[in-house]
Amino acid sequence: MDTRSRASSDWGTPTDDEPVAIRTTGLTKRYGKDVLAVDDLDLTVYEGEIFGFLGPNGAGKSTTIDVIMDYVRPSAGSATVLGFDAQTETREIHERVGILPDGYGLYERLTGRKHLEYAIALKRSDDAVDDLLDRVGLDAAAADRVVGGYSKGMMQRLALAIALVGDPQLLILDEPSSGLDPNGVRLVREIARDHANRGKTVFFSSHILSQVEAVCDRVAILNRGRLVAIDSIDGLRDALGTGSTITLTVDAVPDSLTLVEIAGVSDVVVDGRIIRVSVDDAPAKVDVIDRIRDDGASILDVTIEESSLEDLFSAYTGDVPPRGNDAEADR
Amino acid sequence: MTRAPLWLTIARKEFADALRSRMIWGIVVIIAVMTSLSASISLLVPDVEGGAEMAIGGASQFAGLLVPIMALIAAYLAIAGELESGSLKVILGLPPSRGEVLFGKFLGRSGVVAIGLALGFVVSGVVTAVLYGGLPVGAFVGTTLLTVLLGVSFVGIGIGISAVTATRSRAMTLAITAYLGLTLLWDLAPTVVHLLVTGEMPGGVVPAWLLLIQGVSPTGAYNALVQRLLLGSGTAVEARIGGSAPSYLDPAVFLGILFAWAVVPLLVGYSKFRQADLS
Repeated sequence: MDTRSRASSDWGTPTDDEPVAIRTTGLTKRYGKDVLAVDDLDLTVYEGEIFGFLGPNGAGKSTTIDVIMDYVRPSAGSATVLGFDAQTETREIHERVGILPDGYGLYERLTGRKHLEYAIALKRSDDAVDDLLDRVGLDAAAADRVVGGYSKGMMQRLALAIALVGDPQLLILDEPSSGLDPNGVRLVREIARDHANRGKTVFFSSHILSQVEAVCDRVAILNRGRLVAIDSIDGLRDALGTGSTITLTVDAVPDSLTLVEIAGVSDVVVDGRIIRVSVDDAPAKVDVIDRIRDDGASILDVTIEESSLEDLFSAYTGDVPPRGNDAEADR
Repeated sequence: MTRAPLWLTIARKEFADALRSRMIWGIVVIIAVMTSLSASISLLVPDVEGGAEMAIGGASQFAGLLVPIMALIAAYLAIAGELESGSLKVILGLPPSRGEVLFGKFLGRSGVVAIGLALGFVVSGVVTAVLYGGLPVGAFVGTTLLTVLLGVSFVGIGIGISAVTATRSRAMTLAITAYLGLTLLWDLAPTVVHLLVTGEMPGGVVPAWLLLIQGVSPTGAYNALVQRLLLGSGTAVEARIGGSAPSYLDPAVFLGILFAWAVVPLLVGYSKFRQADLS
């Protein structure tokens, strides 16, 4: 399947006169001679959406965010944020954006509360520290301890609170769920949704599709520095077909297995008395069952699985992404 | 909500960190103890002609060696440490620019070093006054101020080093190199130049330009200024060069050199840091 063609699709894309939160034009970042971290990226994120920025580790997501935040300078192309140039109008951007950066650190000797007071002073906002703590689920006792004794999850919550200082117009979250337990992961989603409900934009990067599918209006998939798809999640699903897997247990696998001839069947794998059939097209499911009977086998059991978003993801990126809890292992 | 400039907010935080980590008290104690000891040496050694000026001079000799290393330690990780830990990404994700971060850190850590040195000198001033039955206030205050300026110069050098390096270990290598080069090796420079120019070792009376070379390093400029302050230009300069001092040995020149050592490394550091990729 030609996934590249979907990149230009207009599935779920708002019309062009909407205010733009982030726009990159021909954005390229090269490290040294050999590493092309971001390759000619054109991306537009509109105000008010929750935008998922997906791709395997090393795809260039963090580098793109680094350019947007002026942590690094692009080799070619440009980026604008809320209409400001990322390189020349950095202050204007940073006054309006909150970021949970990738690979961030905190001050071990400072308490959580001091961190927030510092961020509030630097952003000249009037947030109440306790409200911020409340939003990210850090209790006051923890906030009065120094960060050196925090767990990864507590640090992540504190960093998230720092990102929320000043109620930013655009919230950029780079792998916000790493280090968080399931409650924390749900919290990140609630914060994102809550932020969008107030008319703000959320740019949410992750290498785990299931963490963004529930909240994102649109997603972009990045692989090896290139944009391979940009669409709504439903749009992506449609682009790849229904994508079900039928698992059939039979008394004996027929010698002449003709399943592959059925329109809509994309793959057949036989493992002992179990036959796994990948189907792109819904009506083909019944055809598969009929055909296998015609071929002379008795069906003992049938299960049908709809494709997971992880399968979808790997179809676009060509890699098998880590699932849920495994994600921690490779950080 | 106060609307203090961002660099001032950063400087205040740096200062508060130094109080919290007790770094400032370390500076006070080390300076107080070492300068008090060296101020009292002339009393402990018999047959040494000693007055309170000599005592201050002894303290300044020690400070000339000690202050650079303390100021470098206070400054060399300012940027590099935060870059390595990732906290720089959090700060630079907020409104402050790189220049404001650099300047705020320079200011905050200069304040730490300056106040630590001044407090340490106050202690040794009291010790000197008790031991010698009096204190030449002008000479003492002048030496204290010059020592503070020396400290600030090395904070500038340390912050500059920190801004051009990406890792802690590299920053440390450069800081050690700067210390050895500017404080210890530089003492050899005038001798080597003299040997190259005249073919012999410097004798009792030296050419005037030798004193300038000696005073080009921050520690050299500091020593030249302190000597001038304590001994007067007759003993400190004219007796050594056997004639009247040329204008390039004016104290203002050495003051300028000390200031330049604070500012130039900072500007060089900034020009590199401004362009750097922080990942």
